[in-house]
Amino acid sequence: MSMRQRDTSQLAVSAAAYLFIGTFALICFIPFWLMYIGSFTAESQIVKGFRMFPTEFTLDSYRFLFQGSQVYYSSFVSVFITVAGTVTAVLMTSMFSYVAAHPKVKYRYILSFYIYFTMLFPPGLVGYYLLISNWLNLRDSLLALLLPLLFSAFNAFLMTSYFRTLPFELNEAATVDGAYELYIFFRIIWPISMPVIATIALFYALSYWNDWFNALMFIDDPHNHPLQMMLRRIVSNSENLDYLNANVNIPVSATGIQLSTVVITIGPIIFLYPFLQRYFIKGMTIGAVKG
Amino acid sequence: MGILHELKRNKWLYAMSLPVIVYVFIFSYLPMSAHILAFKQFIPAKGLWGSEWVGLDNLMFFFTGPDWLGVTLNTIYLNLLFIVTGTVCSLCIALLLNEIHHSVFKKVTQSLVILPHFISIIVLNLMVMNFFNGQDGMINHLLKEFGFQMISWFQTPEVWPWLLTIIFVWKGAGWGSIIYLATLTGFSEEYYESAKIDGAKRWQQIWYITLPLLRPTIIVLTLLSLGRIFYGDFGLIYGIIGDNSLLFDSTDVIDTYTYRSLRSTNMNSYSNAAAVALFQSVMGLITILFFNWVVRRVDNDSKLF
Repeated sequence: MSMRQRDTSQLAVSAAAYLFIGTFALICFIPFWLMYIGSFTAESQIVKGFRMFPTEFTLDSYRFLFQGSQVYYSSFVSVFITVAGTVTAVLMTSMFSYVAAHPKVKYRYILSFYIYFTMLFPPGLVGYYLLISNWLNLRDSLLALLLPLLFSAFNAFLMTSYFRTLPFELNEAATVDGAYELYIFFRIIWPISMPVIATIALFYALSYWNDWFNALMFIDDPHNHPLQMMLRRIVSNSENLDYLNANVNIPVSATGIQLSTVVITIGPIIFLYPFLQRYFIKGMTIGAVKG
Repeated sequence: MGILHELKRNKWLYAMSLPVIVYVFIFSYLPMSAHILAFKQFIPAKGLWGSEWVGLDNLMFFFTGPDWLGVTLNTIYLNLLFIVTGTVCSLCIALLLNEIHHSVFKKVTQSLVILPHFISIIVLNLMVMNFFNGQDGMINHLLKEFGFQMISWFQTPEVWPWLLTIIFVWKGAGWGSIIYLATLTGFSEEYYESAKIDGAKRWQQIWYITLPLLRPTIIVLTLLSLGRIFYGDFGLIYGIIGDNSLLFDSTDVIDTYTYRSLRSTNMNSYSNAAAVALFQSVMGLITILFFNWVVRRVDNDSKLF
């Protein structure tokens, strides 16, 4: 085989890779771009369809949205449940996973199975509904948004398999009885586990930020609607703009309002994305399926 | 060494796991008790335990009704479409990203293909509506411009299994590729060096070296997804189809059906929904155990339990 032939085969594969990946990346990106541009487009233009570039720039949709009171309530709810939920969930999950991976703990496999079983035989929608709305009586409470997402078995497995790779002899010498275990966990284990902790935190934060189903089932009071629920309201019924409690004198289209709400809900994700990406690609693959 | 001794010896470690143990008991084990509603006529005032036993009535109602076979087949069919198409696309993305050596291009495109995984179903639904709306949707605009017949997408059930699959791939294929890419970048260069010396072309190296090395990963991930074949993607399907009964023929899955049974004004709605949920949980358990047994035979290290 000559050098030249090898080069052409390499070149063909590379060309196909650049072409295909480039195209797919564009397909992934374009809907975001269209929505972003649409949110700044005047009402008279947007009814004619989406454009790749703005024809008539305006901030009317955002002005309308931020004059209403609903966007403030909903932003508060979303930020609150995301921050409070993620912090609590990461603490709970990491402590549990550490114990489930700790070789000193005799019943660690029983602990793991206790969690596995809920994946094998999920409680089902009816039990879940009865629990939140009847037994715990959480209708219209922020706890109905906070509690259900506080633990994910999948996240616990990801973390447990990471902790299993740690050299436990590392803290063997330091392992004395007493509350010192907590000290070891937070001072020694926590700092060296940042990629997996950041990954889990991202997963929890996303599940809180993007949740709408719990709000749909359990929250009727608009004051406790998160942003996703607010978006659902104005998407499912475009006559529903008075839900936003805004000044009706600004000329806006339902589409424009929907798009500016989308930009508000996606904004923080895009903003944090570059910081988190290097962590989650690493964290996702740690201890996952072997190579 | 007794249980008490062990608990006492590691009491701080067990205490650290306690919040999750209590939480999972309340949020996963307690609601499991609602499965018994499948055998009762639930009257909220009488509660879970006080309601009358009705034997197999609720299950008979479900299985003799017109819907059960349809929703079960839809669930399996849609999941198969998702699993096969999703796996193939994720794999292609991983293989091709691996061929890109321009680091900025690689980083940017990888970020972009993962991005859709992070948006909510509500945003996804808004995109789908703007693309596929009957009159002013973008797709129909394009169809009209090029002289084709416009399609009333939201009234045409036949197209939705494939549309949902495309949406599923758009949202998840990039994310799914992460694991394959991470696995294949770990393969030893030696294989490829010796193949090059033997004169293998690049695509032959992919076909005869990379893919066979990836095979265990592909098989295990696929089997694990197959284990969940009785669980429909509720968020995606309900988020996009919602209560549009025109599309139920091809898109109604066990999960959306249960949700509607629960919400219906029917007196016996809880028990009817519980019967479907029990059917799903039992079938789900059997398939997971079966496929986990298969995984164990294929690759013992990757088994779920």
